[in-house]
Amino acid sequence: MDEVLETAVDAGHILLESGAEIFRVEETMRRICRYFGVDESHEEFFVLANGLFATGTTEKGHFAKVKQSRVTGARLSKVVAINQMSRQIEQGKYTLPEVKRELERIRNIPEPPKWLQILSAGLGSAAFCCMFGGGPVDCAASFLAGLILYTFVLYVSAPHMSKISGNLLGGALATVVCLLCYKVGFGRDLGHMIIGGIIPLVPGLAFTNGIRDIADGDYISGAVRLLDALLVFLCIAVGVGMVFTVYRHILGGVPL
Amino acid sequence: MTLFIHFLAAAVGTVAFALIFDVPRRFYPLCALIGGLGFFLAELLMRLGLSQTEATFLATMVVTLTSRVSAVWQKCPVTVFLISGIIPLVPGAGVYWTAYYLIMNNTAEALTRGFTAVRVAVAIVLGIVLILEIPNRVFAGRKRAK
Repeated sequence: MDEVLETAVDAGHILLESGAEIFRVEETMRRICRYFGVDESHEEFFVLANGLFATGTTEKGHFAKVKQSRVTGARLSKVVAINQMSRQIEQGKYTLPEVKRELERIRNIPEPPKWLQILSAGLGSAAFCCMFGGGPVDCAASFLAGLILYTFVLYVSAPHMSKISGNLLGGALATVVCLLCYKVGFGRDLGHMIIGGIIPLVPGLAFTNGIRDIADGDYISGAVRLLDALLVFLCIAVGVGMVFTVYRHILGGVPL
Repeated sequence: MTLFIHFLAAAVGTVAFALIFDVPRRFYPLCALIGGLGFFLAELLMRLGLSQTEATFLATMVVTLTSRVSAVWQKCPVTVFLISGIIPLVPGAGVYWTAYYLIMNNTAEALTRGFTAVRVAVAIVLGIVLILEIPNRVFAGRKRAK
């Protein structure tokens, strides 16, 4: 029974780290417990956005486990894989050792190669620049800004910086790149170039999941995630603003 | 014509985000369709005279609805479609213009832009929550009827 609870905690932990909603984490853990014979009276789970608590009574005594987690980046392929596994468990397609092996495999699903992530950030920037009304050259400048920004995110800010300084500098970096492009005549519409450029920073996962958690009644986790999203938005805005201020007041005050 | 180009751009943008969020590849076409459709709809409604807030609200409802139907159809979490599909509607541009006008000392314009961004965000929240309130069996039932 200890083993069942342990497995449930593992599954929940992977889900939480990969960016699943709170109710999905709890439901998956309960499903695993039910199927392998741990009923409601023998387990209790409490899941928050940044950690989970599990307790249970087993034949050997008590089981208790606390796991901290930090969402480092969305890994929806893991969420999908565990979701599928949990369905199949209910259909009786897994034994406990098989579940453990499958969890181990899911934990090690590689993320998309970094170059591909960078390239798609660039593409995303160009696409958003176009959507908000930028011309082809503006899009090309946004593409460049997106590439440089995401290289910075993957290699510098994500591993080494706090969220606040990472997003602040990220927003500033994208603005600087666009400003330079604009100055050498590569792109005419600075506003749209920058909007496209900063788009890869937008906290879509935290924002959407925060809303979902609140809709499910998980207010603490929802509030934490929405606060996270709001903070990121503010940092991006401050980053952009910093560059503009420096440009305006120190480098000559040319109106943009 | 511009609407169509923007639809394509939104679809490309959505897939780009889907890749960054590590959505499994087999879901890309549906993600593209949902994201493109949402943005297209919002823009169309704005051209028809609705405010950005109203248009975003309706588009969010459609995005959430199609995401839920797709999730049941593909037997996977809604998150996969919802997160990437909502991105084109998030007021990223509003955040930029707010910062811009603040720096330009144009407080009035900055406030207008800032409040619009907040209103749009609230519209997204309401749109998602309303559709999520529909009980699951409605979607499951439709699936069985097929």
